[in-house]
Amino acid sequence: MYLAPDGDELEIAQAAAGFLAEAMSIERLHGAACADMSADLRHSLGSMGWFALALPGHAGGSGLSAVEHALFFREVGRQCGPVDVLAQCLAATIVDDNALRSSIVSGDVGVALAVGDGTGLRIFGSENAAFMLQLGRDRSDLYTFKNSASEPRASLDPATSIRVSDRVPTVASSETGDRAWNLGQLGTAAMLVGIAEASLDQIVDYAKVRETFGKKIGSWQAVRHPCADMAVRLEAARAQLWFAATAMKEGRGDAGVHLDAAKYLANQAALANADTNIQLHGGIGVTDEHHAHLYLKHALVLARLFGGRREVLGRLLHAEVED
Amino acid sequence: MDLQYSASDRDFRQQARAWLAANVPTKRRPANGHTSAQYDRDWQRKLYEHGWAGVAWPKEYGGLGLTGLQQVIWYEEMARARAPHYINTTYVALMHAGPTLIMRGTEEQKAFHLPRILSGDALWCQGFSEPNAGSDLASLKARGTIDGDDIVVSGAKMWTTDAQHADYQELLVRTDPESHRHKGLTWIICDMKSPGIDIKPIRTMLNDEHINMVFYDDVRIPKSNVVGEIDGGWASALATLSLERGLGFIGDQLELYERVGRATDMAGKLRLEDGTLAIDDSSIRQKLAALKADALAIRAMTLADIAETDRTGQPGPKGSMMKLLVTSAHKALSELVGDMMGWDFLEFDGDRSAHPWTYDYLWSWVFSISGGTNEIQRENIADRVLHLPRAR
Ligand SMILES: Cc1cc2nc3c(=O)[nH]c(=O)nc-3n(C[C@H](O)[C@H](O)[C@H](O)COP(=O)(O)OP(=O)(O)OC[C@H]3O[C@@H](n4cnc5c(N)ncnc54)[C@H](O)[C@@H]3O)c2cc1C
Repeated sequence: MYLAPDGDELEIAQAAAGFLAEAMSIERLHGAACADMSADLRHSLGSMGWFALALPGHAGGSGLSAVEHALFFREVGRQCGPVDVLAQCLAATIVDDNALRSSIVSGDVGVALAVGDGTGLRIFGSENAAFMLQLGRDRSDLYTFKNSASEPRASLDPATSIRVSDRVPTVASSETGDRAWNLGQLGTAAMLVGIAEASLDQIVDYAKVRETFGKKIGSWQAVRHPCADMAVRLEAARAQLWFAATAMKEGRGDAGVHLDAAKYLANQAALANADTNIQLHGGIGVTDEHHAHLYLKHALVLARLFGGRREVLGRLLHAEVED
Repeated sequence: MDLQYSASDRDFRQQARAWLAANVPTKRRPANGHTSAQYDRDWQRKLYEHGWAGVAWPKEYGGLGLTGLQQVIWYEEMARARAPHYINTTYVALMHAGPTLIMRGTEEQKAFHLPRILSGDALWCQGFSEPNAGSDLASLKARGTIDGDDIVVSGAKMWTTDAQHADYQELLVRTDPESHRHKGLTWIICDMKSPGIDIKPIRTMLNDEHINMVFYDDVRIPKSNVVGEIDGGWASALATLSLERGLGFIGDQLELYERVGRATDMAGKLRLEDGTLAIDDSSIRQKLAALKADALAIRAMTLADIAETDRTGQPGPKGSMMKLLVTSAHKALSELVGDMMGWDFLEFDGDRSAHPWTYDYLWSWVFSISGGTNEIQRENIADRVLHLPRAR
């Protein structure tokens, strides 16, 4: 029993962190056209093999486990990476057709994420995507996506564009079961943990340099104590994330329960840490040029995907865990 | 990362579960007084006689030599079997006095005290805090004057839990009167039957008499009772505190999951004032589920910390984080159960066994103050985990 990244896992996390900081640093979100994944970015992620992360070895994947999937998406979260990265990874796992799968894995075609919103579909991610993926707890469908059939909406989050569509789309590939859903839940929980972590790092760095009343703000208890609370929330969410990822890797019967708990804790930690990060930065914290609001806005989107608060709590109440 | 229990871990769980199922006392623990201490001694003796004493202690000192993971299993099974709570009059002896002696005591001290602790023959208390030295422990003033082979102690200690039942005490005094702060302190084993000791109980808001003020009037303690060096007691005190702040609350961390389960069962039976079944109230349902998630996270943190400690041989700095989280969740759970119980929650006479939820609600403040307040835990995290500029 060992519940922290270890050996090869650490190397993969470091490689992902280095690559993502170059390829899609959070700085990009201060640029003009910032939302979603460009075709160039998609190709460069594809050429590094990141979209094949969750694919089994026999399907041309890296043969890595849910643990590496979580480690990678935590780094994606730290950069407020587009939701498309997750959709692309998951789509690769549900496609049977070899040619289609390799064009998804290489990044030649793009996949957006679709969520039913009662009347039609709400689509998150790139407008240049050729497909969209809709996931449920018992089935996943990949649809052919005609961009002209969707209507762009305003989006709070600079890292995610939103469209709506009421057309019935054409199914390209489907899978029953909860495997892709679980990977999606794990991936979003991991991105949220990344956001909670990045928010804490950002305020801790600032608290070491910003001075008021002749002292570093990090020496005032009204700053230290909320920072300590951020660290505790993060630690709880991260420990539960590792537990859930490992439970998935090992095929434990209670993996779904641990995923729900991980998603709930990650939602709360990301939102609360993003909030405190803005507050403790003072005036600079509410400016557009600062990253602090980017973490909050992206967390608001991710906290609703793959299990919002009410939904996961509803399932957790009577769920049983194993020893 | 992995979650696998070894065959011997699984075996251990089965044995512990079976033994606890057959041996957990059916008689309720008395709330106060001599009979409660006797109850704890009897339970400890039973554990000892059946080979279950000293789960965290090394084998060479008569403990079970369990790995951290097996300790987790033990406390999980204790919670499941509703065994007597481990925070009782044996707590200080088993959870920090014994382990401090193991780390820093002389061979004679170990040979004499350790077996007595394990068998429940010797109860200990902790005499660190004073009226003007709680969070700021290094400011303590109780004096120890070296006189030949003895140290003569005068002064007062405050908040000493179970002093009236204890046979020995972890006593921290200032032996160098010229010294400042943490220099010049000495950690001594004090025999509580020594002449010159006067114990005055302090009644708490829990309606019990567990804590005391202890007065020392020229109490003679042989120098051979010093643990570590004379004037070098801070290092021993830190060892004791790290045990208390590290995994000292491991049982509560793991028990929380069981307690949320009990509260959920209760919500399935209790009617609120308007006749709604508590579990059908969406706000109660959501809060219970949120606490369940917290309990799972605390368990995951405990497992992660223990695995790290097993691997490196050193406890990490996470104890403060776990204590902060478990005390907050503990309080939130008591408050929620209070909402569900309505008027019945107000019936309380200080008997923990008879009114467990109300007792736990009041206890939640003790839990977040003793062993270092939540504010001090936040200070520790700011200093030792986040490396923020020092406030002090
Ligand atoms: C029921 C009970 C049992 C106990 N049992 C024992 C025992 O057996 N043996 C023993 O030695 N001690 C025992 N204690 C003592 C306990 O460790 C102290 O009460 C605790 O450390 C707080 O110290 P204090 O009461 O002097 O509060 P103070 O130190 O006076 O603190 C008062 C308030 O100020 C806050 N504060 C203090 N310093 C800081 C700071 N630097 N930054 C931010 N906030 C700060 C505190 O958090 C608290 O809210 C017990 C206490 C209780 C309540």
